[in-house]
Amino acid sequence: METLTYEFPASKTLSRQAHVGVVGSGDLEILLEPSSEARTKIIIRTGSQGFEKTWEAVLSRFFTQHDFAANIKINDFGATPGVVSLRLAQALEVSQHDSQHIKA
Amino acid sequence: MTVNILKHSLVELDARNRAKSILDEGTFRELLDPFAEIESPHLEGQGIVPQSDDGVVIAKGKISEQEALVISIEASFQGGGIGEVSGAKIAGALELALQDNINGNQVFPVLLFDTGGVRLQEANYGLLSIAEIGSAIVALRNYVPVVGLIPGKIGAFGGMSITAGLCSTLIMTKEGRIGLNGPEVIEQEAGIEELDSQDRQRIWKTIGGEQRVATGMAERLVEDDISSIKDAIQNALATGNNVLPRSRQVEQFCHLLSAVDPKEDINPYDVRKSWNRIVEGEKFIRKNSSDLPVEGEDGRGLTWFKALTGIKEAAQREIPSVLCADQKTGDVNTRFIAVVPDSNSKYPRSRNGEIGLEQGWIIAKYIHEAIEEDKNREKRAIVAIVDVPSQAYGYKEELLGLHQACAAAVDAYATARMAGHPVISLIVGNAISGAFLSHGMQANRLLAFNDDSVNVHVMSKQSAARITRRTIAELEEATKKVPAMAYDVQSFSRLGALHELIEGVDFDQPDQKDINLVMDKVNEAIYDAKNSNRDIANRLKSPEAVGGGRTASIKVREKLKELW
Repeated sequence: METLTYEFPASKTLSRQAHVGVVGSGDLEILLEPSSEARTKIIIRTGSQGFEKTWEAVLSRFFTQHDFAANIKINDFGATPGVVSLRLAQALEVSQHDSQHIKA
Repeated sequence: MTVNILKHSLVELDARNRAKSILDEGTFRELLDPFAEIESPHLEGQGIVPQSDDGVVIAKGKISEQEALVISIEASFQGGGIGEVSGAKIAGALELALQDNINGNQVFPVLLFDTGGVRLQEANYGLLSIAEIGSAIVALRNYVPVVGLIPGKIGAFGGMSITAGLCSTLIMTKEGRIGLNGPEVIEQEAGIEELDSQDRQRIWKTIGGEQRVATGMAERLVEDDISSIKDAIQNALATGNNVLPRSRQVEQFCHLLSAVDPKEDINPYDVRKSWNRIVEGEKFIRKNSSDLPVEGEDGRGLTWFKALTGIKEAAQREIPSVLCADQKTGDVNTRFIAVVPDSNSKYPRSRNGEIGLEQGWIIAKYIHEAIEEDKNREKRAIVAIVDVPSQAYGYKEELLGLHQACAAAVDAYATARMAGHPVISLIVGNAISGAFLSHGMQANRLLAFNDDSVNVHVMSKQSAARITRRTIAELEEATKKVPAMAYDVQSFSRLGALHELIEGVDFDQPDQKDINLVMDKVNEAIYDAKNSNRDIANRLKSPEAVGGGRTASIKVREKLKELW
């Protein structure tokens, strides 16, 4: 297991927290909380070691396309880059809508 | 996306949405949600990524406008395994619901099972939690029906199958399964000749919802459709406590065991037919002729049963492997119960002192007998002499409902304790897994011999290593960091559940002085139990528990209470 942290500049704020996903095989859990600082901070705990470069690529791509300030915690159980992007998009969607959780 | 517009699947939902879908719309309120971030403190150190809710959703809300507590287990996280935090969430919530019901505020508990049982990485924490959950369910049943739902896909296995076996009403889908030992575990422990875990058809025919409902081990079979499931739950709540809970139907299930011959092949349909005949009132009487009395099969259990009761040759009452005798402990009337090996047992998987079908139901029978006899007089003490290597791993055991036999024993011990019988568990040898849950774990006080050959655990080292994908060396390394994973009784005592570790005795060949010393300890424990509460909350209040042994268990309960 290893812990990775990333930070991206951000300007827009979010209205609510979001929780999506599960720490199950090939999946991950995301806890997203709006932040008042002009950045998004991401802490990842992953069971698959040695994928820093991949995480960085997936996250920078996502946060280039989406600008929001948040504190994000990710608990990963070997999700592929595709699943990571999808779950991030889902978390963002939930944090902009009225329901805190969304169907798995 | 739902393909069939007439049905809404519950199985396809995650634990949180399952809970939400069962509660009246808009009433779901989660306690200790993911943002509370009370996760397992034991996983990171073992290289496993924790989940923010530890895989259990606790929700309050309403069902048909009545106050309800829904507990939903997430199977995708660590196979729904019960660790310290997830276990404390379930036990703590049930304890709070019990308190409400005692105070006259009705709260209906509903449990959604989807779990492989104890989380091996937190071993004895899971075991302790499951004992606490069982105790709470038995107590709750005096006030409200406790409804269990097994929707699939995993089902209910291990210690949690015993928990499900205690529910007033058990609702299953065809896809749901319940059994003490999962098919993979049986194949591993007993070989592929016993059961091929890949043979899906055979497995579902044996432990699937349809078979279980047809043989009295679950009450309702439902489609995987939310509205049908809600109807079934409402129906179960409306039925209330009018029916004798399954785990108390000792007589009927003893008839079922007598109706079949374990030396022959038994197929699931035969069991259904026998059960139908029992339901219609037919009685089957056990033939004892094939069993010989216990002779020369020494072991700690037998040694100490003889030592404490003073009986040289235990008279056989039901089966040779469950010994039962009434004797004075000091000035207190006491019933001693021990499970011992019986190499002639007609169940080959329970010849070495394991808890099997007969053992579970017969323990229950002996205890209920004492409860009944002492109804209007001084309650005798009950002492479980514990030396149980494991539960029985076998196909026939699962077909005939080993989990239900274990639940019956759990129910009996818990009921005796709550009725005011001081229940003492004296661990003289091994205390492993489902066997210990059934025989020993419901005691007011746990005493253990401080000896290397006393082991307390949930699974043999070999199996635990295989399942957690470690070598035995790695497993032993991990146990150094997590005392709950260790096998030795000293480590177990650090969790705070033991009343006392007994030392300075010849454990294998006790002389009169040794026997007197142990007798005094048992007597002291009986008096201690008599003068305190009838629950098992004392395990969380001991200096070891408070001083670090059960930190998360205590914290979770405090937080739940604040949010309740």
